[in-house]
Amino acid sequence: MNRHDLIVIGAGPSGLSAAIEAAHAGMDVVVFDENARPGGQLFKQIHKFFGSKEHHAKVRGFRIGDELLKEADAAGVRVELDSSVLGLYPDREVVVRHGDEVFHAKGDAVLVATGASENTLGFPGWTLPGVIGAGAAQTMMNLHGVRPGDRVLMLGSGNVGLVVGFQLLQAGCEVVSVVDAAPRVGGYGVHAAKLARCGVPFHLSHTIVSAEGTDHVTGVTIGEVDKSWQIVPGTEKHFDVDTICVAVGLSPMSQLLDMAGCDMVDDPRRGGLVPVCDESGATSVTGIFASGDVSGIEEASSAMIEGRISGAAIADYLGYLEHEGETRRVGELEGSLDALRQGMFAPKNRGTVPERTEEGCPVSMNLLEHGFLSDDEVLAYPGVTHAKGVHAVIECSQNIPCNPCQDACKKGCISIGENITSLPVVVGDAACVACGMCVASCPGQAIFLVDEDAGDGFSTVTLPYEFLPVPTAGTRGRGLSRSGEEICDAVVESVRCVSAFDHTNLLTMRVPEDCAMRARFFRPAPADADEEAVS
Amino acid sequence: MSDEAVRMTTNGASRSFSPAPLDRSRGLGDFVPAPDDDVLVCRCEEVTKGDIRRAVHDGMYTMTEVRRYLRVGMGLCQGQSCTKLVRRIMAAELGVSPAALDAETSRAPMRPVEMRVLGNEEAAGGADAR
Amino acid sequence: MTDTRTEGVEALGGTADVIVVGAGVIGCATAYNLALRGRSVVVLERDESIGNGGSSRNGGGVRQSGRDARELPLAMYAVEHLWPGLSEELGADVEYVKKGNLRLGKTEHHLEVLRGLAKTGREHGLDMRMLSTDEVRELNPFLSDEVIGASWCPTDGHANPLRTTLAFYRRARALGVRFVTGVDVLGVRTVRGRARQVVTSAGVFEGDEFVLAAGLGTRRLAASVGIDVPMRGLLIEALVTEAEPRMFPQMLGTADADFYGHQTAHGSFVFGGDSGLEESNGYAGGVPTASITAPAICRSIMKYVPRLADAKIVRTWAGWEDECADGVPVISTVDEVPGLTLACAFTGHGFGISPIVGRLVAELCCGEKTTLDVTAFRYDRFRAWA
Repeated sequence: MNRHDLIVIGAGPSGLSAAIEAAHAGMDVVVFDENARPGGQLFKQIHKFFGSKEHHAKVRGFRIGDELLKEADAAGVRVELDSSVLGLYPDREVVVRHGDEVFHAKGDAVLVATGASENTLGFPGWTLPGVIGAGAAQTMMNLHGVRPGDRVLMLGSGNVGLVVGFQLLQAGCEVVSVVDAAPRVGGYGVHAAKLARCGVPFHLSHTIVSAEGTDHVTGVTIGEVDKSWQIVPGTEKHFDVDTICVAVGLSPMSQLLDMAGCDMVDDPRRGGLVPVCDESGATSVTGIFASGDVSGIEEASSAMIEGRISGAAIADYLGYLEHEGETRRVGELEGSLDALRQGMFAPKNRGTVPERTEEGCPVSMNLLEHGFLSDDEVLAYPGVTHAKGVHAVIECSQNIPCNPCQDACKKGCISIGENITSLPVVVGDAACVACGMCVASCPGQAIFLVDEDAGDGFSTVTLPYEFLPVPTAGTRGRGLSRSGEEICDAVVESVRCVSAFDHTNLLTMRVPEDCAMRARFFRPAPADADEEAVS
Repeated sequence: MSDEAVRMTTNGASRSFSPAPLDRSRGLGDFVPAPDDDVLVCRCEEVTKGDIRRAVHDGMYTMTEVRRYLRVGMGLCQGQSCTKLVRRIMAAELGVSPAALDAETSRAPMRPVEMRVLGNEEAAGGADAR
Repeated sequence: MTDTRTEGVEALGGTADVIVVGAGVIGCATAYNLALRGRSVVVLERDESIGNGGSSRNGGGVRQSGRDARELPLAMYAVEHLWPGLSEELGADVEYVKKGNLRLGKTEHHLEVLRGLAKTGREHGLDMRMLSTDEVRELNPFLSDEVIGASWCPTDGHANPLRTTLAFYRRARALGVRFVTGVDVLGVRTVRGRARQVVTSAGVFEGDEFVLAAGLGTRRLAASVGIDVPMRGLLIEALVTEAEPRMFPQMLGTADADFYGHQTAHGSFVFGGDSGLEESNGYAGGVPTASITAPAICRSIMKYVPRLADAKIVRTWAGWEDECADGVPVISTVDEVPGLTLACAFTGHGFGISPIVGRLVAELCCGEKTTLDVTAFRYDRFRAWA
């Protein structure tokens, strides 16, 4: 019998993190993953992560994946790919399929880190080709370079729907709407804002009535819902689309734990059937642990820390780590995890909407209900100020654990402080040198450099631009407002693509000065337009 | 009676048994057709919402019973896609919260596997043995 | 939200003509037959779900061949009189197929065993004979070259045990039988020497007659009134494949008894089998599968039906065979405890005879002359060997 100290099932962020931690403690660890590539969902996350430096803030998901793999390799962790764990049997035995054979292996401890799968929604027409999970669309685009379609409706306004919605735009798809039955956007306001200023409308309190098509989606009808989730007659809206992305939540893939006899509980706040665990991930069956999404849907950052905590706990359990050492290590990790679980979107605050931020600023209902901050609201936040010369305008209005902007500015213009959920403050008397690092570092793409008075009645706005093709200096186009409305003519002054920006190009556009605090996106003029010079 | 024998009679989960008595005589009222009864819920076995609702009215009050009665969740994906939907539909029909319904017993194999592969067990031991 | 299922059920407990403990296929078939006779019935089931014991875990065989001579009359009666019309009678398709049973042999010794079974069968009026290699292959072209012969019983077949159990339940419920699930029956209580009550985790149920059809659990309940049924649990496993193109309609078995199974109406194959190590395998209190069993069943199957090598298995499960000391069930009133009837210990072959057993038990309860002689199944038949 192949016997190991620790068998980890799932080489995603949680499983790998646990394996690394255990390997550092000297354990013999093997990780089984059914996929051809490790990293779980990390490699398709092309956006920059939130949190603080210890959480890999501002680093793109796939790079975090690369780092994790390197660390695992260096620690001597064995990752067996194309290895599907078919069952978890008594005595912590697994049966693994590899190629055309199966083999048995046993662990003194087993960690299940199998993640989660996407939920479906059964509206009429949902089985038509063209209805696809948002996660699946993301895999298709970001790992395989294939667009799921051309015109897409996104159902679901949680972070998955918002992030994937934006990635669909980046891939060259048209996103006709983000729809959600809830009355408010479920994910971060900054993710919604990225979409809104590109012209994507939000239809909250709406759901899909039906998808149409004979052998493929050709259109979709949505309708408003009342308080009992019934469609209000007369509110139907139709879109011609060929793709409907469904982002209606994830469910833990906890079947192995259930099979092994762990006490399970159906917890809607954690996404479904999860094992009953303590803080180290220990289940009710001795020697079996769980970490990451399988123990409760959260995100990659928390999954990684949970993995490390479990790894340390298992090392302690098997005598590879002295209990004092483990307690210290776990204490550090729990502090790091706790830092992520704060703010408006913290698991403990799910379902509630505060009226004010921690600082006492009004929480923008416009942002929550339409996906963008209104012009007058914006000034309520400490990141948005008027100043002479180029200065940073940080349109960050919700308390989320995130602070890379603070470290990005070498001139001390941006301050968040000890509490990383605090809204960033643009410090009044600091001297901005327009290096653009803050713009590029913001995972929410919510920072702009504005020179309100650039001369001749114009202003310049520097914005993060993650689209291809990258416009060249001199390109004419239109400035879009936060709500995606074309509000003025705009000309590209420059586009900076510097490796330190990590593919967040900084586009500086010249707009009429009354649009300095309103224009937040650039749309190039159509190729055949005969535009007059911007006056 | 020995513990062993008592355990042997528990055919369901190995978890501690805490029954919730349920009298099946209580009817649910007449079955009222709904406009979306023909929407597919389990696409692997082509079971509609109406099928599930009718099954509940036939007396199938647990997920386990509905699954065995209709084959919903018995197809290729073994309920990965449809279980939550079925739960919601059943719960609505029964007037309970979805969390009140039973959870399905999870079984190997976690992925469909050919007989020739499952029967092809690599010999035990080798370099990995401690 | 009010739970419409339990509304108005605050006071559980109650009275009926007959209390049946166990809602497997036997309990449900019995309740159905009792309801046909106008009796009021309450069925009490420990599990949350109807039929979650052997009734939903077996291989669906409806066979006469290979049965103990004592059971053969029951099986033959059920196959001839009850199974063919059961779907119509219950108003649900139980997927009964009567296309025969092939018991396969690969060695001379196997054939000897099979000849013995065929002889016993014929002695009791069963149409059963041996087939040559060529004849076997004509009936079933999918068998491997290793098969050198088989016993053949053309009137055997198979059905869907899940749907059959639920069909009996549904029909019985429609006829007014009261089913209560999630109830742990703690014991039977006599009043003035007669069975009068069952004490449960949710109240007391009173009746004139009591049927214990609770699988292995019957033993504990019978013990509460001083009756022992010598039986034990034998673990056996099963597996099911995806739907496959239509291959063969017969029920398959082997002389070695290493697997048995058939292709269902759905197209999937259901097979039962074991690893040979069941008696010493550990279990966690539930019915977990063992890591070595499904692979062993697969190897057995592939030796006989090579084409199934590429069939994908989607699920494996395990269940208990309630093995009686002498291999046949206890279907019996209990003289020393008037009012008590036992229907248990079916030793893994209760499904095929369930329609007739349901009727026989109902007849016993109602004091009617039984359709068939059930003396061989008396509760007090067990004797020391010397």
